[in-house]
Amino acid sequence: MIEQKKAIQADKQYKEINFEVHYIRHLTDTTYVVRFDRNEMHFIPGQHLSVGLANDPQAREYSIYNSNNDNFLEILVKEVDDGIVSKRLKKVKPGDQLKVTGPMGFFKLDAKTINSRKHLFVATGTGISPFHAFVKSYPQLDYQLIHGVRKSEEAYERSEYKNSNYTLCSSRDKKGDYNGRTTDFLRSQKIDPSTLVYLCGNCDMIFEVYDILTEKGIPTENIHTEVYF
Amino acid sequence: MKYHLMTLGCQMNKSDSERVQSVVEKMGFRYTDNEEEANLVGILACSVRQKAIDKVYSKIHKWNKQKNKRNLITFVSGCILPTDQEKFLKLFDMVFTMNELPEFPQMLSQYGIVTPYRIENDFEPEESLPFPKTELPTINLNTITFNPAQTKSKAGQTLILKKPEVNMKGFWDVKPSYQSAFEAFVPIQNGCDKFCTFCAVPYTRGREVSRPSVEIIAEVKELINKGFKTITLLGQNVNSYGLDKKGEEISFPELLQEIGKIGDASLNPFWVYFTSPHPRDMTVDVIEVIAKYKCLANQIHIPLQSGDDKVLIRMNRKHSLSDYRKIIHTIRRITPEATIFTDIIVGFTSENDDQFQNTVKALDEFKFNMAYIARYSPRPGAASSRWIDDVDHETKKERLQILSETLKVHSLAYNKKLLNRELTVLVVKKDRKEGHLSALTEGKIIVRIKSSNEELIGQFLKVKINSISGFSTEGVVIS
Repeated sequence: MIEQKKAIQADKQYKEINFEVHYIRHLTDTTYVVRFDRNEMHFIPGQHLSVGLANDPQAREYSIYNSNNDNFLEILVKEVDDGIVSKRLKKVKPGDQLKVTGPMGFFKLDAKTINSRKHLFVATGTGISPFHAFVKSYPQLDYQLIHGVRKSEEAYERSEYKNSNYTLCSSRDKKGDYNGRTTDFLRSQKIDPSTLVYLCGNCDMIFEVYDILTEKGIPTENIHTEVYF
Repeated sequence: MKYHLMTLGCQMNKSDSERVQSVVEKMGFRYTDNEEEANLVGILACSVRQKAIDKVYSKIHKWNKQKNKRNLITFVSGCILPTDQEKFLKLFDMVFTMNELPEFPQMLSQYGIVTPYRIENDFEPEESLPFPKTELPTINLNTITFNPAQTKSKAGQTLILKKPEVNMKGFWDVKPSYQSAFEAFVPIQNGCDKFCTFCAVPYTRGREVSRPSVEIIAEVKELINKGFKTITLLGQNVNSYGLDKKGEEISFPELLQEIGKIGDASLNPFWVYFTSPHPRDMTVDVIEVIAKYKCLANQIHIPLQSGDDKVLIRMNRKHSLSDYRKIIHTIRRITPEATIFTDIIVGFTSENDDQFQNTVKALDEFKFNMAYIARYSPRPGAASSRWIDDVDHETKKERLQILSETLKVHSLAYNKKLLNRELTVLVVKKDRKEGHLSALTEGKIIVRIKSSNEELIGQFLKVKINSISGFSTEGVVIS
C-alpha cells in the first residue's frame, strides 16, 4: 500500500486551476452569495475555502454555503468596510475567474451521529453559512438554528430553513422571532445536555454562548466552535 | 562574483536558504559575509514579524542607494504577505516565491549576467521562460562575467515570475547546501491550513502541500550515508503530512516508520526529530512509531500556546485543553522516556488573569522539559492584528516571568533524575562557558562538557551527568 501511494505521488503534478463565476446573488446591500465552478472538488459540509480573484495575491477564507450534493460552490460574503477581497468579489461578473484553494477546516458534523442526535446551531451574521451547508446536505438532520442579526433583513435566505427549526434573534428592530440578543434568547431556553452544539460567528458571541451552555450543563466536548474573524 | 544572503525568521526559512544558496552557488556566485563586496544581495524575508519586515525595508533602501556607486542586483523571497509583496515589487529587482526558485537563474539572466547556466542553456532574455528547469550545470568560475552596463531588466521593472501552476516540487528538487556537517533539516511539508489567529503563515506560505515521500526518503538516506547525526523533518504542521493528498500519499506516521526502518538498519547512528506538529493532527500512531524505532528520537515538541479553552478558541487553535491532555497522556504512556517541549504565548488579546492562571496550571500538570514562551505581539497580516492588543507590556512581562519560573521547577525536577546517569550526547557547539563544549541528549537536554577539543563537535559521546541546574546539566566524558 505504501509503495503504491509513493508511486502515485511521485508522478503527481500540483496544479492550481481557476474557478469560473456563474453569478452573484445579492441578499442585502452588503451581503451576497457568489456561485462558481466546483471542479469536482470534494468537501465536507462545514469546511471553508480560500477565495480571491485569479491573478490577485489577496484571498480570504469563506465557509462553503451550499450542499455537497450540488455541482457548484457558493460562498456567503459580507462586504467589510475596510476590506479588500470582499469589495473585489462583490464586483465579479459571470465568466470571471476565481482563485480557490481548499477545502480546509474541521468544523463538521460527526458522520456517526448526524441522524441520531439533536443539534443546536447558533450563528451570528454570515456565520450561518456552514449551517446552511449542513441543512442542505443532510435533509434528515434534527436541528434547531438560532440566527442572531442586527436587523431582520439579515435573515439570509430564511426560506431555506423550516420555520419550526429556525429562530431569528433581531437586536436592532422588532421583526425577529425574538427581539433581542441571541445570548438572551439562549438563557431563556431549556437545552437537553446531550445536544451537540455548533457555534459560528464572532468571538464575543461564542464566548458568551459557551458560558451559557456550560452553565446549563452541556459538556464542553459537545460544543464545537468556528470563529469568524 | 559574490553574493550575500540574509535569512530572517524561523527554521523553515533557514532550511529554504540552504536551497537558495545551492542554486546561487551553482550559478557560480561565491558567498560573502560582507554585503559591501557582493554584486548579488538577497533576503529571505519573514512577514510574520514586524521587526523582520522593518529590517527588509532598511536593507533595501540602503542597497538601492548603493546602486549609484556599484553594480548591485537585489532579490527577495521567503515568507511574504501579499501586501508586502506588492510593496517589494517597487523596491527589489527580483521578487519570487520559493516554488519559483528553480527559475531564479533565468530571471538573473535577464539582467545581463552571463553565467555558465546561461551559456549552456542558450537562454535569451527575450524568450518566454521555460518551466520547470531544475537541473543546473556544473560551474566553472572562470566563465562568469558581469555586464556592468545593465543592472535593470530590459523593461526596467522588477522581475516576478508568474507560472501556470504552483509547484513546490521544483523547489524540493533543488539539492540544498547544508550549513552543518552533522545537523540537517529536511522540509517535508510547506504551508498551513490551520489559520491560528495570531499567525500569518497561511497568508505567506499558502496551503499545506506535502513533499513526495520518495524524495524525502531519498534525501534522508543520503544524509545517513553522509554521516549526519541529527535529521529534523520540517513543516509548518509537520504531522499534517500527507493529509492534503487525500490518501494518495503515505501519512506522517507511515513516513516516520519508513525512516525508522532505514535508520535502524543503518550502521551510522543518528536521531530523527520533527517540528512543529499541530495538536489537531496528532495521532497515537505517531507516538507508537517513535517508541518502535531507535533512531526516532524520544523528544516531542507539541505547541500548547495557552492552557485556557477560551483563549484557545480566540486563537482558533482547533483543540481544547482536554484534547491536548489526551496527547500528553498518550506520550507519557507509550514513550515514558520522551522529553516534551512546547510553545506558549502570554498576553494574547483579552487574556485575563484567570485565563493566564489556567496556563500556569497546565505547565504544572504537563511538566514540560522546555517551553518557548513568547509575549504576544500582533503580527502583520494575522487575524489578531485587527484586534486591540489590550494586555499591557508589563503584564505580559510578568506573566512570562511567572511561567519561566514554573517551567524551571519542572525542568529542574526532571534534570535531577539525570544526575549520575550515563547518557549518549551529541556535541553541537563550543559553549559560552570558556573551555567547555555544549552537547544535547537525545531528549535535547543541554549537557555542558569540560573540553576545548572542537574536533568533538558533531560527535556522539558517552557522558556521566555530574551536576544539574534548571535548564541544563554538566557531564564528564566517559567514552
